[in-house]
Amino acid sequence: MKLKSFMAGLACMLSAGAALAEYPERPINMVIPYGAGGATDISARTIAEPLGKAVGSALVMSNITGAGGVTGSVAVQNARADGYTMLFARVGSHSVNPAMKATLPYTLDDFRFVTVYEINPVACAVRPGGGIESMDDLVAKVAEGGVTYSSSGVGSLLHLAGAMVLSEFGVENPLEDATHIPLQGGGAAATAVLNGTATFICTNSSALASFVANGQLKPLMVTTAEPVPGFDAPTANDLGKPGLNALVGWTGIAGPAGLPDEVAAKWGTWMAEAAGDETFVQQMTARGSVIDVMSPEDANAFIQNQYEKFRALVDELGMRIEG
Amino acid sequence: MSFIDSVLLGLSLVGNVEAFASLFIGIVIGVIGGAIPGLSATMAVALTLPFTFAMSPINGILLLLGVYKGGIFGGCIPAILIKTPGTPASSATILDGYPMAERGESGRALGMALWASCTADLVSNLSLILFAGWLASFALKFGPPEFFTLILFSLTIIAGVSGNSLLRGALSAILGLLLATVGLDLVYGTNRFTFGDPNLMGGLNFIAVLIGLFAVPEIIAMAAHPTAHLGKARSLGKTWVSFDDYRRSLKTILRGSMIGVFLGSIPGIGAAPAAFLSYSEARRTSKNRANFGKGEIEGVAASEAGNNGVAGATLIPLLALGVPGDVITAIIIGAFMIHGLQPGPMMFVLNVDLIYGLLIGLVVSSVFLLIVGTVAIRGFKYVADIPRRILMPAVLVLCVFGVFAVNNNIFDVAVMFAMGWLGYLMMRAEIPAAPFLIAFILGPLLEDNFRQSMLMSGSDLSILARGPITWFFWAATVLAIVAIVRSTMRPDTQAG
Repeated sequence: MKLKSFMAGLACMLSAGAALAEYPERPINMVIPYGAGGATDISARTIAEPLGKAVGSALVMSNITGAGGVTGSVAVQNARADGYTMLFARVGSHSVNPAMKATLPYTLDDFRFVTVYEINPVACAVRPGGGIESMDDLVAKVAEGGVTYSSSGVGSLLHLAGAMVLSEFGVENPLEDATHIPLQGGGAAATAVLNGTATFICTNSSALASFVANGQLKPLMVTTAEPVPGFDAPTANDLGKPGLNALVGWTGIAGPAGLPDEVAAKWGTWMAEAAGDETFVQQMTARGSVIDVMSPEDANAFIQNQYEKFRALVDELGMRIEG
Repeated sequence: MSFIDSVLLGLSLVGNVEAFASLFIGIVIGVIGGAIPGLSATMAVALTLPFTFAMSPINGILLLLGVYKGGIFGGCIPAILIKTPGTPASSATILDGYPMAERGESGRALGMALWASCTADLVSNLSLILFAGWLASFALKFGPPEFFTLILFSLTIIAGVSGNSLLRGALSAILGLLLATVGLDLVYGTNRFTFGDPNLMGGLNFIAVLIGLFAVPEIIAMAAHPTAHLGKARSLGKTWVSFDDYRRSLKTILRGSMIGVFLGSIPGIGAAPAAFLSYSEARRTSKNRANFGKGEIEGVAASEAGNNGVAGATLIPLLALGVPGDVITAIIIGAFMIHGLQPGPMMFVLNVDLIYGLLIGLVVSSVFLLIVGTVAIRGFKYVADIPRRILMPAVLVLCVFGVFAVNNNIFDVAVMFAMGWLGYLMMRAEIPAAPFLIAFILGPLLEDNFRQSMLMSGSDLSILARGPITWFFWAATVLAIVAIVRSTMRPDTQAG
């Protein structure tokens, strides 16, 4: 009896404590669903410092990798929606994968985004000296046949990007007319174009920046409306394809679906503060990212919009993976 | 600008206490990180990366390179002392290092590992300085068909680590191949043997398999027969590697270094296959081949030379082409970019001081590794004196912690225990674990490169013999198979 009432009291105190106490009252677990040293990891660890200051509590960063971001995303999907387990979500794990994979263990509805803070323009490039100087040359070459493009795996941004760009430029059946060659990771995908294994690649401009600067790869276009520094190539808008503006990489932060409004609102203010940090902005722009902090509402709308565009394309081309 | 000018420019960049201190601290962090099972060199480099953001570029990169080199060596310490590879690259070191430790010669094994590592490191760094351009353009000739034939050839090393029964070795390799198929299909992205569990979609975690296969069976065996080891000498003893040992193994070490340099300069292979290939070549040509796998010091030398030979050579594609050769160099490229540097041919023009500064730092790193390694061995030697009844439970805790830390995933710990029981059953049935591991590493690479080749050629098999490199490896594969068949047929020699 005594024990029972004690337990009841304790439970009462705990739940009241959870409701009353100021969030966050303990360290927040931040899951990075990609490997150490990758684009997401570096981005996450760069914002962790100013963000930790804004939050005023420790952020525990952990990489849970596997299956193109799925393993880590599932870990957060199944966590309690109390704001103490958050995810660094990425374009691959949260708009390409949901659009392409029927058997994915989660959908966008399983997450609530609190921000998108980084946009990565996408660029397409080829090996110089191969007779391809512009997108028109590339499209002409596709008609001849034998064109391949490399990616970091099925369901990656690179996979979808190659098909989407060709489709926008009027290639009717990009899956048949050009061959997709999946490789082990983004580095290997770029190398494949360097050594002639693949004809072209469309990926985050940051992944190509050093090759372009060194003259090892020739950029054909960037998908943003604004030109990308260091890339001497027309924008999608210059080429009259503003539809490609949706094809950008991004990094954001999400919690499980039931995340309370107060928590989301707090993240909104923290992010606004953290992303103003000078060193952070300087380090990120040095890597070719565009810092653009979105409010929780804008972030959800942005991702939903990109997902729907990707999903429509996937259905149109029959790229959906059912197995 | 002359060579001397470049060197002087480089010296002006690294000729200060901070640069050398960064390198030294990096090596210390690396050796400790590598020596903790599950932490691995990759993790140590990734954890050090954020600290370099605030440092000057050269110091930051030297720090990371120090961690990398230290980590690859540090992995051999637990491999030899407790049969748990601290880093995947040191799994071949177990084969002879652990039996030596069981015999009470862990000091000798660790000493040889250190000397072999430092020698290979030096060879690797010198190759980077002298042949970077040539090796880089060669590495760029490796497309999927070339990889396919190289890996096909590498699979023949299974025969070299199978022990006395080739059949048991093959069985082990088939098990490894089978488990490596779990995960997402590379080309179609469909699930393979995942049974609807998201945890299996990423495949079985390599570190979990590695530790489960080697360390856990020892612990299970200890629990099953707690007194079996009594009466065996097992301490560091007074044995230390002699100069005579080193001289006898020098040929093996140099060959291992060359293999490491070659495989390291080709992006995408990594240190573990290099160590196994070096080991198998050493065994094939050694006078003491019967002793391999039972505690042959040359085996330790071969394996450590192979994996440290990779460490300098992976910088060849990184500096010359801007291409990361493995996960660790991918992280190091991140450090370059944070500082606004773009590795590649232009760097030899724009940042020549940095390049030469790095090269000078690398040469010094081999010496630092020798110093730090010697101290570390003296520090860790007490592990060998711990009674097994205390050591084994501690190792188990360390394994669980390490495997969890790799991916913060409790599922991986379950994989480790499942593999541990499999490894124990294999041990009881005298099925060697090394072929399993080689197949587990190389099998997926073989499959991926085969299918990429088929995608490139539109399923035309002739692409697999498209140039001199592929012809070379086809010929080498045929010769290796002939040699294996001949040695198996002759009952009077030790069958391989």
